[in-house]
Amino acid sequence: MWQVFIKELIELLRDRKTLFFIIALPMVIFPVVFGVIGYLGAKSAIKEHDKVIRYVLVNGHAAPEFATKLFYHSDFKEALLGFDDEEEIKEAIQGDKVDLVIVIDEAYQQQRIDKQTSKWQVYYSGSSLFGATRHKVDEVFKEFAETLQKQVFAEEGLSEEQFEVFKKPIVYEEIDTANERESFGEQLGGFIPYILIPLCLTGAMYPAIDLGAGEKERGTIETLLLTPVSRLSLVLGKFMCICTTAIMTALITIFSMVFWSFIIGKLFDVQAVSEILAAVGLVEYGLIILLLLPISAIFSATLLAISIYAKSYKEAQNYMGPMSIFVIFPVIVGMTPGISLTYNWAIVPVSNVALAIKELLKGTLDYALLVPLFASTVFFALISIIFCVYWFNKEEVLFR
Amino acid sequence: MISVENLSKSFSIKAHKKNAPDQVADPREDGNQFHALKNVSFHCNKGEVLGLLGPNGAGKTTALRILSTALKPDSGKVIVNDVDVIKSPMIAKDKIGFLSGKTGLYGRLTARENIEFFAKLHGVTDHYLKNDAEEIYQSLAIGAYLDRRVEHLSTGMQQKVSIARAVIHKPEVLVLDEPTTGLDIMATEIIMEFIQHMRRQGTAVIFSTHHLDEVALLADRVSVIYQGQSCFEGSIGEFQQQSRELDLRRAFMNILQGANANVASVY
Repeated sequence: MWQVFIKELIELLRDRKTLFFIIALPMVIFPVVFGVIGYLGAKSAIKEHDKVIRYVLVNGHAAPEFATKLFYHSDFKEALLGFDDEEEIKEAIQGDKVDLVIVIDEAYQQQRIDKQTSKWQVYYSGSSLFGATRHKVDEVFKEFAETLQKQVFAEEGLSEEQFEVFKKPIVYEEIDTANERESFGEQLGGFIPYILIPLCLTGAMYPAIDLGAGEKERGTIETLLLTPVSRLSLVLGKFMCICTTAIMTALITIFSMVFWSFIIGKLFDVQAVSEILAAVGLVEYGLIILLLLPISAIFSATLLAISIYAKSYKEAQNYMGPMSIFVIFPVIVGMTPGISLTYNWAIVPVSNVALAIKELLKGTLDYALLVPLFASTVFFALISIIFCVYWFNKEEVLFR
Repeated sequence: MISVENLSKSFSIKAHKKNAPDQVADPREDGNQFHALKNVSFHCNKGEVLGLLGPNGAGKTTALRILSTALKPDSGKVIVNDVDVIKSPMIAKDKIGFLSGKTGLYGRLTARENIEFFAKLHGVTDHYLKNDAEEIYQSLAIGAYLDRRVEHLSTGMQQKVSIARAVIHKPEVLVLDEPTTGLDIMATEIIMEFIQHMRRQGTAVIFSTHHLDEVALLADRVSVIYQGQSCFEGSIGEFQQQSRELDLRRAFMNILQGANANVASVY
């Protein structure tokens, strides 16, 4: 078995595709992809934030204070356009001639005197990614409304302090009992297994194809079957090799994530990131790796069984495609708000590991739940391995 | 020596692989079963070369896979130097060497790593590998590229390495399944020389082929399988005599024509 294991490992490590999947992808590609997404996202957000909104005020003469406020606001620039009807307004916004049109009720001044609510129309495009136009308009209206309220209160003989009390009759102080790590764990804890678990699958997928269907395609499987080594040993040797690469992928990913988080924390002085990384101890990191062991075993054995059945690389790839969906669904559970690790969830394969990793990162894991979790995952891993050995012994599978 | 007695093997057929109703039915199909071999027998003595002949789909590969323990027969016996291949496959595997047209080598390993990997699986000692294996390397003239990856070697070189791989554990019987299929003249020549070398060393060699010129050159005896049944076994002379043809190609066709009538009556 060890001879087979070592041979398979040497072969895989000499293969560029395998090296790409288990080393390059988690070490370089992921940080690069996340970095590019973050950079482009930040760039778009800044662009949106700095954008000067072109506006047209219809009936501006009815509310000169508002018109003046908007005119001198640095985020707004008046566009000299006129409209005959609502359709023209909509067309101008869709045609990107203007970003914002505010139609003031002509009777605004009279409505103020009568202490009535004035109804204005605000036209803008809500398709913007970050909704900057809406936020900026809201802000201007809020300030303008507050000025008006203050005026009304002054006319009624109320002081500014009384106005403040009227505006905020109750002031509450927020005291969040969740520490930074818990908040981080809740928000991002579900996301980490979403990366780690599928990576264990991808880490196992290529070697499984190579060691099963690949051997069939190259005609080496027959030569191997003629050696005086039991099929159990052959399967275990191959299985261990696939499992090793799956775990290696997960390990490199964990290392890569910690490394890049550390770099981001230091370079951009994000203290929270450094603190959280320091708060998650070595035991927790070790436990995450331990949790990934049986799950990698399940993936490895299942993928090897599929691969052995397939006649060629292509057929194996076709069969393995749906595996990703079967894995993603239970992992999504870990990201679902409100679901936490219970005794029931602890026996559901894949979901249990996703939830346990999330709780570990939050620092709220009930360690007693690890017993049913490991029992269940190891059980399913053993079933997968036993099935794989049984499958490998079937002539109609090996010589389809 | 190797002796094969009344070997039978059936496979279950999937619905989609069955012949369409308008096609001529294969007499070996029986409901959901396909009788790949039915009472096939032949033998090969020490230092003898047996050519296993038969058209495509006759059952040659199935028979050789049973001989080499990759498949289990439904009934029958395969004895390799007093060892029952079916009852004691692990012992038998050490007595058999196998080679086919596909080299069966791992491309990303070097030639030496390939040979040593299979040698170790056969329990060959490090001492033997360090000393005696050199003799095999020298006789095949592969010493110069032993440490090069197999994927970088030519077909001929790969075939030589494959030969070394097949004989590194000193098998008593050598099974070759269409070893020259798809090979160029040079690589074919290597295989032919190798078979003759093994015969001289006293190894029993069974090789399946479609090339009757190879049979004429190498085989001491011939066994013909047609539609899963043995239809001839004997020397080249007997083969020509029975078919009343000196030309091996015509002799082969005559044997098959005779067998065709018999097969129809059996199934």
